[in-house]
Parts: sequence; C-alpha cells; structure tokens
Amino acid sequence: MTRFDAIVIGGGINGLTAAAVLARRGKSVCVLDQAETLGGMAAPGPDGAPRGAHLLYNLSPAVRRDIGLGNRDWPFRSAPLPSVALSPDGRHVVLRGGEATNGDSSAHPDADAYRALHGRLAKYGALLRQLAENAPPGFDGKLASRSALRQMMRLGWFGLGLKRLGRDEMRNFLRVLLSNAYDTILDEMPDGPMAGLLAADAVRGAAAGPRAPGTVFSLIYRMGHGGEVTLPMGGMSALCSAFADAARNAGCQIETGVTVTRVLIEAGAACGVETADGRQITAPLVLTSTGAEVTCHLAGPQHFDIEATRRMRNVRARGTAAKVNLRLSSLPAVIGLSRDLMAARLIAAPSATYVERAFNPSKYREMSPNPVIEAVIPSVTDPGLTSGDSHYLSAIVQYAPCDLEGGWTETAKRALAKATIDTLATYMPDLPGQITASEVLTPVDIEAQTGAPGGHWHHAEMSLDQLLTLRPANGLGRYALGPAGLYLCGASAHPGGDIMGLAGRNAALAALASEGRK
Amino acid sequence: MTENTKYDAIIAGAGHNGLTTAAYLARAGLRVLVVEKNDWIGGAAVSRSLHEGWTYSNCSYVCSLLRREIVRDLDLPKFGLQVIPYEGGASFTKSGDYFAYYSDHDALRREMARHSPRDADAYARYSQAIMRQCRFIRPFLLRDAPDPTSLRPRDLNELAYLVKKAHGLGSRELGETLRFWTMSIGDLLDEHFENDLIKAHLAGSGIIGTGLGVYSPGTAYVLLHHYMGDLDGGIGAWGFARGGMGAITAAMGAAFEHFGGTIRTGSGVEEFIVENGRVIGVALENGDTFHAPVVASNMDVKRTFLKHVPRAKLPGDFATAVERFKIRGSSAKLNIALDRMPDMPAAPPHASFLRGDMHVSESLMELERAYDDWKDGRWSAKPYIDMLIPSQIDPTMAPSGSHMMTVFVQYAPYDLEVNGTRSGANWDDAQRAAMAEVVIDRIAIACPDIRERIVHKEVRSPADIEREVGLTEGNIFQGELTFDQLLFNRPVPGFSQYESPIKGLYLVGSSAHPGGGVMGAPGANAARAILRRETRDNRMKGYAA
Repeated sequence: MTRFDAIVIGGGINGLTAAAVLARRGKSVCVLDQAETLGGMAAPGPDGAPRGAHLLYNLSPAVRRDIGLGNRDWPFRSAPLPSVALSPDGRHVVLRGGEATNGDSSAHPDADAYRALHGRLAKYGALLRQLAENAPPGFDGKLASRSALRQMMRLGWFGLGLKRLGRDEMRNFLRVLLSNAYDTILDEMPDGPMAGLLAADAVRGAAAGPRAPGTVFSLIYRMGHGGEVTLPMGGMSALCSAFADAARNAGCQIETGVTVTRVLIEAGAACGVETADGRQITAPLVLTSTGAEVTCHLAGPQHFDIEATRRMRNVRARGTAAKVNLRLSSLPAVIGLSRDLMAARLIAAPSATYVERAFNPSKYREMSPNPVIEAVIPSVTDPGLTSGDSHYLSAIVQYAPCDLEGGWTETAKRALAKATIDTLATYMPDLPGQITASEVLTPVDIEAQTGAPGGHWHHAEMSLDQLLTLRPANGLGRYALGPAGLYLCGASAHPGGDIMGLAGRNAALAALASEGRK
Repeated sequence: MTENTKYDAIIAGAGHNGLTTAAYLARAGLRVLVVEKNDWIGGAAVSRSLHEGWTYSNCSYVCSLLRREIVRDLDLPKFGLQVIPYEGGASFTKSGDYFAYYSDHDALRREMARHSPRDADAYARYSQAIMRQCRFIRPFLLRDAPDPTSLRPRDLNELAYLVKKAHGLGSRELGETLRFWTMSIGDLLDEHFENDLIKAHLAGSGIIGTGLGVYSPGTAYVLLHHYMGDLDGGIGAWGFARGGMGAITAAMGAAFEHFGGTIRTGSGVEEFIVENGRVIGVALENGDTFHAPVVASNMDVKRTFLKHVPRAKLPGDFATAVERFKIRGSSAKLNIALDRMPDMPAAPPHASFLRGDMHVSESLMELERAYDDWKDGRWSAKPYIDMLIPSQIDPTMAPSGSHMMTVFVQYAPYDLEVNGTRSGANWDDAQRAAMAEVVIDRIAIACPDIRERIVHKEVRSPADIEREVGLTEGNIFQGELTFDQLLFNRPVPGFSQYESPIKGLYLVGSSAHPGGGVMGAPGANAARAILRRETRDNRMKGYAA
C-alpha cells in the first residue's frame, strides 16, 4: 500500500511519538527513517552502546499516555544516577537530587545554597512544563473562537500557577527566567565544581556560554520533570524499542533505510513524498522531524511565502556538542572517588568560569582546548551491556562547533579525541591505557546521520528569541509549515529537544485539530 | 550660622536626573535642596576645563536621548541649552578604506553599495524594523513600569496599556518585538547584512556601556536603547550640546534655581537619616544636616543603599537584591586636546562624516574578542572606540584652530586583573598609560599623526569614573541593561517605581526604569511618583501622562 493518511519523516523519538499519536486517533501512518536503526539522536550503536544521547531526564508522562504506554510506567526500567562534579584537586562534589555532599560523603559547605537553588529551579520547571505540554500561544484567530478561548484558559491557568508561587517567588521567577546562568549560580555559591556543573548543564548542546542572558531558562528546561537523571536499563535500545513498539502497536508502518528526496505539494497542499528508491507514497498529511529549512528544500521553496523562507534560513542551529564514545578494557578509576560512584554522571567543568572559557573558541569556529565533558559509563549500572571487564564510556564534549575552521578532517577529529581524553585523564590517569576503541561524532556527523540541523542538540538554538511562538521562527511557531498538511514535528518546534517527545506529540495534535476544523 | 535646614525635598546628587527631579519638584512649588559632593554640578553630564583653553565633555559626550518633554517643560533652551545635530559617522580600516554612515538616505545607500550592493538593498528593511521598534518602546519611557504581581489599579492600568499596545502590533509584529528584545545585535545584523565592516559599524551601539558581547542575547535591545532619541525629529539622530554636555546640566541647574531651588556643592551625602522606617533627612560629609520628608537619591542603587543607608535599616532581602543587582564597569574614556585637526588620509577632505562618530572596528568577531578580554579582567587588545571631534561644530570647546577629541573605549574592566587579583585598585598611572597607548594605536588607524597632535590628554578608567562621578564601577547606565534588569525588574523587583522600602526615600537615577543615557526619563518619572505619593494636589503639569 502506498497510500496513507499521514507520513512521518524521521523515526526519532519525536517522529515515533507523532506517528503513534496519529495512529491511535485512527490514522493510517507510515514512518520513514533514513537510518537503519530507529531512534534518531537517541539511537544506540551497533554494539548496543549509547551513540548520541545517553541519559534521560525530560521524558514526558503526557507523551507516554498519548502513545498508549499507559499512565503508570515506561516499559523499561531506569536507574537514577547521581551526578559528580569533578574537581582537579580530588575534592569532587556528589549531587543526588537537591542534596550535595563531598566525594567522601561529608557535608558540603554550599549544600544549603544548592538545595535552595535546585528546589527553586525545579518549581519553576514544573510551572513552565504546562507551556511545553501545549502548542505555544498564538493569537491569529478571532478572540471569541473556541481555540482562542482554550488558549486563554491555559494562559489563565498558567497565570494562576504563577500567582500560587506567592508574590516574592513570582517576582523572582520573572527576573531569574531572563537572567544568565553564570550570575544566577554565582549569586548563590562560590565558583567551583558545583557551580561548574550547573553552568555546564545550562549550556549543554547550546551555542552559548553561561554568561549569555537566557541560559537560566535552559537550566530550568532541563528540570521540567524534576531534574532527575536516569539511565534506561537495557541501554538506549530499550528506550527506542519502547517508542517504536508503541508506534507499531498503534498500527504504524515503519520503514528504515528509506531516504525521502522530495515532499510532494499539489495545489498548495502536501500530498505525499518521493523516496530515494523512486517510490511515491501519498498522504494528505506530512510531518517532518527534521528542520524547517531542510523541509522547505524537500518541498521546493516556491511553495513557501518568501518571508517564511527568509525566516527559516535565519533559524540559528549551530551544533557545538560532539560525542566521543570510548570502549575500555577495564573500569577506570577517578582519584578521590569511590568505585560505586563510577556509575554516576561525571561532569568535567571545574568552574563556571571554565565553562565560559571553553565556550570562547567556538565563537571563532575553533574547538575548546579544555572542553566541558559529561561522561557516563553505563556498563557500570547495567552490566548486561558488556561482557567481561570491558566498559563503555560515553562523553558529550563541548565545544566543538559544526562550522569548525578548516572543516572536520580526520586530523581535527583526532585532536578533539585527544583533548577529550587528556581532559578526562586529569581525573582518571589510567584512562588512556584502557581505551581499546574510540569513536568521534562531530556535529557534522550527527547532522549527516540523523538529519538534525547543524547537528544541534535541540535542532535549533534554545535561546529566548527562538522559543514558544517564535520557535523555530516568528510566524512558523505552531507546527504548520507553509503548504496545507505539512507539519514540523521535530525538536526545532516548540517546546524543543531532549528525549521528551512533546514536540512530536504537540505537532500531531495540531495536525489533527486543523483537520477537525476543515 | 542660622541657615534654614528644613526643606520639602532633598535631592542627593546633581546629575542630569537629580536636577530633573529637583526642577520638577521646585516647579510644583516644593522647597527643594540639591546637595552635590563635587564642587561642580552635572554628574556624568559635565564640561570641564582640565587644560587651559580646552573644554572636555569628560564623561557622556553626545546627546540624543534627552526627552523633549523635559526640555520643553523646564524651558531648557531659555537657560542656554542648544543641541547641534551632527551628521553621520565612519569606520576606518587598516587598509586605508572606510565605511561612511550618512544621515542622508541616498548618500548612505551609495556608500553601502560601494561595499556591498546586497547590503545597500537590505538596509531599508533593517532601518524600518529598528524604527518600528523604537516607536513602540518610546511611549513607555515616560510611563511607570507596571508591577505584574500587583493588583493595584495603577499597575493594572499600566499593564492594560502595555497589553493594548502589544495587541495593537498584531501577532507577527509582536513576535518581532519579542525577538528584538531577546536577541543579540550580532545575530540581528547577520540576518540582514553580509559585509563585515558595515556590520561592525552598526553593532557598536549594541555594546556601548554594557558588559556583554555583540553575540550576547539582549544586545539588540541595548542598540534600541541608543536609538530611542529623536533629535530634531530624526529618530536615532545624535548631536553635541554647545559648550559640552555640561551645558545640559547647567541649563537644568539654572531652571531649578529659577523655580526657587537651592544647590549646595562641595559635600556629598554621608548618610540618609532613617527613623522608624522613614527618611527624615541627610547628613553630609562635612557634618551639615538637612531635614526633609522626601529625599531622592541620584546615586545608583548600590551606592545609595549599600554605602549611605545603615544596613540595619534595610529589609534583608531587599539588601540582598541590591547586592545582586549587576553594575559592571566596561568602558573607559580618553579626552584629548589637539593642536590642530589631525590628518585623516583615508577620508576625502572636509567629508561630513568626520564631524560624526568615528570607529576603527572591522568585524563582529573583532568586537566579540574585545569582549573576551574584558571577561578575563583585561582591557581589550583591540578595543571598540567611539571618537568624535565636537570642536569642528562647536568652537567653544577649543582655542581657535585647535580641537578637542573625545574617545569612548569599550571594553575596559573595572576590576582589572594584575598578578592574579582582580580589583579596581589595580588601576594606577602605569595601567592607565598602558591602556591609553593601546587606544591611541587604534586612533592612529584613522589618524596616523595623532601622536604629534596631542597637547594634553585625560585618561579615565572605570575606577576613575567611579571615584569622581560616583557611578559604581564607572558603569554609564547605573546598572546593566539586560532584560532581567529592565522594566519591572529595574532595579529590584517590587521597587521599580522609584520608591524604596524606606518611606520617603526615592531613587531617581539611571538605576531606575527606564535606565541610563542622558535621557532624564528616570528623574522626571520619579518626580511624578513623588508628587503623587507625597503631596495631595501637586500634579505635574505639561509632562506626558
């Protein structure tokens, strides 16, 4: 059958979510992914080790419900991980939820400050989550229409949530939300590993340093679901299978290894796609998990308003996070850290100033000589992933800009691997000798493999001027893209990236709602 | 001495905002005293003669933002204020070329096309967008910032006005406004233009006086802040006050005295006297004490509350919020006496743009690197400079045939790093001289003979500006213009309407909404707030609603 009610381009978490939501509302849906493995940026490598994303913290219960995985739990177990802010002098800081202790479990002098800041950000995150779980507000329709009224209700509800914070907290929220991570963190604690970890979390995946106004928002965004970081047991494949199975169970047809070469437009409406193997698949609804500009080229710019194409061209998506995946012959040890904490999320960012300095070269299209690293060794928590003594170490490395001066040659990739290993080796001196294999994925590789614009974590920079109704661009903020029936369902749509699924779910609901209005 | 020490209101600090508040209050019939620590008035809008024959606008150096409502209400031209617009400006390159900015649209288009035909086409769209944003913001400058957490009728009314104005834009334009307020000037320019030199020329206004780089979100708003002036009806036009910037405050001082006010210079406020949560007067450094039920501080929020109010008299969370208010020194100044007009070999003789603002930055990346130096506690190796020679238009500034040059330098940190420590105390003569050399090397790009022309120069580091003018860290805006410090957040959430937790003590300087620049809006808005709260029937006449 080459005729469907809807086609979803891209089988990442958002694409699969969109497909499952549509299928559960009775649509026949076809998902096409260019890769052989589903999951997009969450897809694991052939050996089951994490390749792109490696941790979960923003999975949405609203998505779980809407793709038919029930109200209770995900079909895979997940283990919460503590975070360790590594310190070159061995005085690491261990963070579990809002609790901070020294590496040797003794009390940390800034534990109270950390608890207060963590609690406040989590509270703000829960509030902002309401906005993430719906299409962004927009007032193009009549004020008295049903959709406008629904929006007013939602905004009213949000306003009520704000009011419930109490006057002082509400004022603080309105100030801090627009502030920069660097000042917000250092107002509460001295600069050091704990501040460095928070600063690093605030800019993970972003083309921004912690001093950039708006970076507190990204920190709050991370904490939209409480901020607990977990590792899916069974690896990222367990997660990706859960989403793929949900889509299949809902009746979706999923094809991998299929590249879409064209989105077909007829009479100003999407009517299907053409694939690299020459097939035409037709459907009145086409949802795409890639970026807006790529979609515009797939469909042909002549079908778009010239103003819209200009705005799509100007969407900023400059990926700066690379992945360095290592295979190790044995478990490395961090000086001053107990062995069981090797399971933790390890952050190499000894101070907020360090993070800002690491960011500087990326502005000039250079990689950081001393990068910020988030490393996880999932095989400690989940021994089933490897055999014998061997382990995986998965590292997100910033900053490695997608538009590196001179391009990402093999030499440049080796330099990045070296900077990463050298940085890690300041904490784990034995690491270099334990590496049996390594893989470097630059933003350029990530873009090539997953279609993420610029290889960007969030497909489009999560800066304040690219959020809500302005995401990915002014006038394109409500999932519909130009021709009727064409929708953006990836991370560059509201509310943004991370393994969350809300963009896909919201896009599917928007497509269904607009069909209902016809 | 039997001097009367009781007044209706006392203003601490004779800067342009303090004098504006004072003049409005005096005009409304109050007995007002202004006290000033320096022997002269003017704050950062001063003209001083530090070398015989030459007059320097030591701090602020050009005029555009001063609200015309204030000029009209206080009749400043009658008291000697005359503003002469200048046309255009230019950015010079090391290769001997330049990009000239003309206020004449056709000339500008031709000049842009010389560098990039595409950018010449793009400029119309860019300038219209900027102008629309300025038109939107301008009415808010003379209004109070509504407190979104308050249900008072005044706040709701202001909020309703804001919503109405925003709704009136339409959703697309409202989206543009939100983008403008949150994006970086670098990204904004990259969207419109391709030529590095043109972008560098236009970007300067986005970073002047600000501890942010051209690619930091929020700098597009800083640019708007510099474009909100409307000299002679031309949005974004700038000019010189005849006789230097001190002419503005001199006219304000004269207007104030004309309305019956008193100015005492030579001794600043030592302490705001607070009793039972209410201010009752001021104690001066020289031991004099004056009493009034209303005291307004033209000093910035940190200096006012952390240096001159006993900590015990302040609510703890307010004091913390003031401590966390960000005021960062990021700029320095050179004022230079020249024996004659320097050569500018790149420019055609007598080019009109030589009478405007001149720069030597060639790309956004160069400007961004200048910011990186500042973050690490160094002055920029290649600073952004904004230099003007006002004596070409205003002959009162220098002896006949000679000239005066004002050079604004971005970035220079307040807390200079020397041997691993960062402190304002590190600014000594050697450091000042070393920075001046860097700046003069930059000037030499445009004027190769600059070194031979210098008769006298004054180098002002952020620490010098703090010491003399009193601005914390020498910050020209009395507080960063980042969006967490604007509108209802300026200076402290909950105290954005010029009042403070101490009854009768008001903040009238640029730390208050709508922020810095020689604008006078905080001072005038504060006067309105004071009259509304402290008196029954004194309402400000003439001033915008």
